[in-house]
Amino acid sequence: MKKILTFALLLVCLVAEAQNYAVDLIPTGLKNRAHAIIRDSKTVVDMRSPDQVLLNVHTSITVLNKNGDRQAQLALFYDKNTVIKSAKGEIYDEFGKQTGKFSLSNFKDESAVSDFSLFEDDRVKYYIPQVNTYPYTIVYHYEIKNKQNLIIPEWRPIANFDVAVEKSSYQFIYNLTDEIRIYTNNYKGQAEEQTLEKQKSMTWSVEGLPAVKHEPYSPNPDTYFTSVKVAPKNFSYYNFKGSYTDWQGLGKLSYDYLLKDRRALPLETVQLIKDLVKDETSDKSKAKKIYEHFQKKTRYISVQIGIGGFMPIKATEVDKLGYGDCKALVNYMQSLLDVVGIDSYYCVVDAGEEKTDLIPSFASMEQGNHVILCLPLNGDTTWLECTSQDAPFGYLGSFTDDRWVLACTKDGGKLLKTPKFETAKSQQVRTAELFLSKDGKISGNLTTTFTGSQFDNHYFLIKKSSAEQQKQLKYLYDINNIEFNSINLTANNDVPIFTEQLAVSIAHYGNPNDSRVSFMPNVFNLKRPVPAVRNRTLPLHLKRGYTDVDSLLFQLDENVIPVILPKKMEVTGKFGTYIAEIKMKDGKLFYYRKLMMNDGLFKPVDYEAFENFVNEVASYDRIRVTLALKNK
Amino acid sequence: MRKALVIALLLAPFFAASQEFEFGKISSEDRLFDKNKIDSNANAVFLNEYGTTRFSFDSETGHMRLIHKYHARIKLFNKESFDAANIVVPIYKSGSGNNDQEYISDIRASTFNDQNGELVETEMSNKGIFLEDKSKYLSLNKFTLPNIKENSIIEYQYTIESPYLFNFKTWHFQTSLPKLNSTYVAYIPANYKYNVSLRGFYKLTENKAELSSGCLRIVGKDMDCSMLTYNMKNVPAFVEEDYMTAPSNYKSAIYFELEEVHYLNGSSQKYTKSWKDIDYELTSNREFGAQMKRKDVFKQILPGIIANSADELQKAKAIFDYIKKQIKWNGYTGKYSETSVKEAMEKRNGNVADINFALISALAAADFDVEAVMLSTRDNGTANKLYPIISDFNYVIAKVNIGENSYLLDATEPLLPFGLLPLRCINDQGRVINLKKPSYWIDLKATRRSSVTHSLFGELTNDGKIVGTITSISSGYDALNSRKEIKRYTSVDEYVEKLDERLTYLKIKDFKITNVDSVEHTLIEEYKVEFSIGEPGQEENRFSPFFLNAIRKNPFKLNERNYPVDLGAASEERISISIALPDHFKLKEQPKDLSVGLPNQGGRYLLQTKLLNNNLTVNQQLLFSKAIYTSEEYHYLKEFYNRIIQAQKTDIVLSKAN
Repeated sequence: MKKILTFALLLVCLVAEAQNYAVDLIPTGLKNRAHAIIRDSKTVVDMRSPDQVLLNVHTSITVLNKNGDRQAQLALFYDKNTVIKSAKGEIYDEFGKQTGKFSLSNFKDESAVSDFSLFEDDRVKYYIPQVNTYPYTIVYHYEIKNKQNLIIPEWRPIANFDVAVEKSSYQFIYNLTDEIRIYTNNYKGQAEEQTLEKQKSMTWSVEGLPAVKHEPYSPNPDTYFTSVKVAPKNFSYYNFKGSYTDWQGLGKLSYDYLLKDRRALPLETVQLIKDLVKDETSDKSKAKKIYEHFQKKTRYISVQIGIGGFMPIKATEVDKLGYGDCKALVNYMQSLLDVVGIDSYYCVVDAGEEKTDLIPSFASMEQGNHVILCLPLNGDTTWLECTSQDAPFGYLGSFTDDRWVLACTKDGGKLLKTPKFETAKSQQVRTAELFLSKDGKISGNLTTTFTGSQFDNHYFLIKKSSAEQQKQLKYLYDINNIEFNSINLTANNDVPIFTEQLAVSIAHYGNPNDSRVSFMPNVFNLKRPVPAVRNRTLPLHLKRGYTDVDSLLFQLDENVIPVILPKKMEVTGKFGTYIAEIKMKDGKLFYYRKLMMNDGLFKPVDYEAFENFVNEVASYDRIRVTLALKNK
Repeated sequence: MRKALVIALLLAPFFAASQEFEFGKISSEDRLFDKNKIDSNANAVFLNEYGTTRFSFDSETGHMRLIHKYHARIKLFNKESFDAANIVVPIYKSGSGNNDQEYISDIRASTFNDQNGELVETEMSNKGIFLEDKSKYLSLNKFTLPNIKENSIIEYQYTIESPYLFNFKTWHFQTSLPKLNSTYVAYIPANYKYNVSLRGFYKLTENKAELSSGCLRIVGKDMDCSMLTYNMKNVPAFVEEDYMTAPSNYKSAIYFELEEVHYLNGSSQKYTKSWKDIDYELTSNREFGAQMKRKDVFKQILPGIIANSADELQKAKAIFDYIKKQIKWNGYTGKYSETSVKEAMEKRNGNVADINFALISALAAADFDVEAVMLSTRDNGTANKLYPIISDFNYVIAKVNIGENSYLLDATEPLLPFGLLPLRCINDQGRVINLKKPSYWIDLKATRRSSVTHSLFGELTNDGKIVGTITSISSGYDALNSRKEIKRYTSVDEYVEKLDERLTYLKIKDFKITNVDSVEHTLIEEYKVEFSIGEPGQEENRFSPFFLNAIRKNPFKLNERNYPVDLGAASEERISISIALPDHFKLKEQPKDLSVGLPNQGGRYLLQTKLLNNNLTVNQQLLFSKAIYTSEEYHYLKEFYNRIIQAQKTDIVLSKAN
């Protein structure tokens, strides 16, 4: 019996080896609009013990054309805790005939550090195949040993656009005594469970997934791509052992072992802070004063050291050096607040333009990538971004707005939601008094205020040199011949509101002719048309709403004869409202435009209506007015 | 005596200018330095910078090494400048042995802040220094200064020991920050001879050579050195601009290349030499000359490649096409073969030299008169022509001579036709290396003008639609760019679909694209289109005739320009529209006819609108007759664009004549 078993195993291996990679075996439907096809991908994660998790991947990818080359590249990241045990592969031609092979020694080895980071040991080994006849198939086999099980490699059978999947599976093997939690997203069906002698295994698999095209204004890919995450209850990480099953527990653990007792400050600093706020009466005004001091004293430098990048540098160090990463800076700010007894929460967030929540139902360590600070202030919750030297007190920009974050407090973890920018309160309001001469030149003054999510549209200009402001404004106001004769930028960080006062002149803006001059009264705010999308498949996601108001008053040359002006333009729908009107007011031409764009998630079929809405706005935005001149 | 003292005092500041300054000894002048004195827009300024490089003999290994000391003092005016406090020093290596890598030592760095009128120093601790093992050839030594605030002064110094004598240590006077004073002192032993060259627009404030005796000791013997001092004062920041070739062409810096060494035993070795020596060296080099004559690799397959070629030119083209298809470029440039012609043919990929030496060998196998041309790519800067600096060159191409004509060929870009070099190679001059004859310089220019013609033939229907065909014919770099764009998509169909989605105002009904892969021919794109310019029954139709490639933005926005504008190649674009109108239409409004030119026949723009026999025509021509415009011509170029943009703002209004 035993012999037969061995024989059977051998056979299995042989069959696996003899897999046929001929391209014509791919179901035709899958090739449609795909740049590459994952033929067969098998990922096995074997959690032998908390400090020994083996990742074994065997994957074959057929690249159909040049655009799919990226899918054939492989990058394996490693560090002190992650060992690449082996990696090798083969290349096959269209007919499935092997044309080459490679091993780990053919991989390039580099440090994996971006920009300026004081960082030690993150490295990458990568392989970029050089094949110039399409299609071709590349097969990779690699094995990685993780000396920790806090972060288990997750499974995403489709990780990119334009890639189809013929077959892909993920098997997680663990000991009978292990408790694990599982999170599946967009996975239809149940995992296949198996009980082995001392271990159990769960397998997820997919077959015949067609390629997904990127479409504009589509939601976060996480919402429609399949993924599986696993988190064990008991974990080991850099010789640290612990256990958690929910955010409460993970937050508690983080607080107890990573954050607590790192906030002591030198006596001088304690005294300095006490003196600084001695005249302030409320906690909020104290916190504001401290934050402003903190912003002057510190700057952001990426320093990813200490327990795999999770533990902040001590407050005393930051006090001495004046720099730190997000963790260190948040921790330092907390220590300064401690001095005057203001409570604050260290909050882990997944930062980025794309709003990504920490998954409320599934706690795991790798979901966040940034840390911010939350001050409960007795119900007047205030959020602080600690890596910016000029963010207003209490302002979170679109990098961290409107999403679930984890507050690590001494009582355990709590999920909190960061504030959302309201459409009506995210305003850009512009007024201008301009003179239009008969040769088409425009000159005058404009004042624009920015609030809410629009606050930081131009805020970055404030710290630039005047030459740099000139240059940047020319790009921001992309109008030919625009010159800025004076620039006055102010920010009131208490609101916060940013005000930009400009004196501009735009030569040859209008188009003069012997007897008339024509021009576009909407000078500064042109909505761009959006592209058409045929057979839209993904929902339409408008991430943030906003409101723009432009009121421009043009004084005209005295020789202009009034003419019939275009009638009021209005567009209304579920995506927003638009009004533009042009009228004469006390001998002056007045242009008024108000655009309110809503946020929201809409059905794929709604895209066409959205496209029509925006394109109608865009065409109204470009309306020209022709004024006749008296003959002299 | 007193008089002498006064003189000495007077002289002192002059000497001080090009001497090492003491670490941490910051004068009140430094503390109160007003940036308006040098650049009111500067975020930070180098108050002083001083470096030396000298030789040192390591008696243990018997190797000569360079000792480079660097010292800088920088004032940071505002938050925007704080990046200047993040220091990254590249450390080069070619292996793991003692003599195969550089070492950094003696790093010292401090921040000085004004605190209640007193200058307080914060020293950087050694814990703040990190070494990143970037790749096989490069490590990065990184550190950042502590306690940075607005108006901090930072100061740092370090020493690098280097086994790489050949290029000595380059000194960059000009960087992204302005410098008040920058001094470099090179101690070069009498038996070493270097070629020294200064690049950039600015002149040295001081340049002197003195004798420094006993500067180097080798096996108990003192050697004399030349002590060369280079100093520049008030160096402006370098600002990069659009349409500019490599910044290294314009940045002020001192470069070195080792020419010759006389050894103590009386022998000598030449490194950089005359072109004659270089010619010999290259032609006999295993990774250069030897790869030019690998005819054996092609002897057997050649007859098959050129079987259908009628004449010599056809044959050369067939070989060029074969190499382009056969070997894929791995993205690496180089004048030396990475593997070999043979291996590149087998593996079907290689670096620039592998591919072009394969081309040269194949052409030689077919008995062509073929040579190699060594060049420096645009982003690598221009090669020095005063004397040979072999390390300036980073690329090699083929030159084939057929009858009276010669053609420059680069087989790394499959989408380029025979005889047209990729834009990266169009950079001043290259050096032709012949296996038998002396080398010489050759101009690297685009052999053909980039040209594109767009034409629309159509008619206006009664319901206000224009229905017609747009035909675009392109050649040169315009064709290359269009082909690259098309190739970004999986198929031509997909490309057109995306194009249709992008052009929101019109619908593409049908299309035909010819010669996408026949790169020797012009690329022809034909699109049957339809778009609306009015409603049925409307009295007037208003539309912009500039819907094909309109120029709405001036690429030249800056008011001043210090460096030439390099467009790469001369170019011409013609756009013509011809629309048949229903009866009884007249032109109510139209763009003014225009003809503007650039000085010295540098280019022109023509615009003409006509209505004749119910046929409306709008013709435009935009011509740039040369590739490079001087900084003096910048304003003309900018104004030229302004005039075009202005002209293209007017609509055409057609009205029914009664």
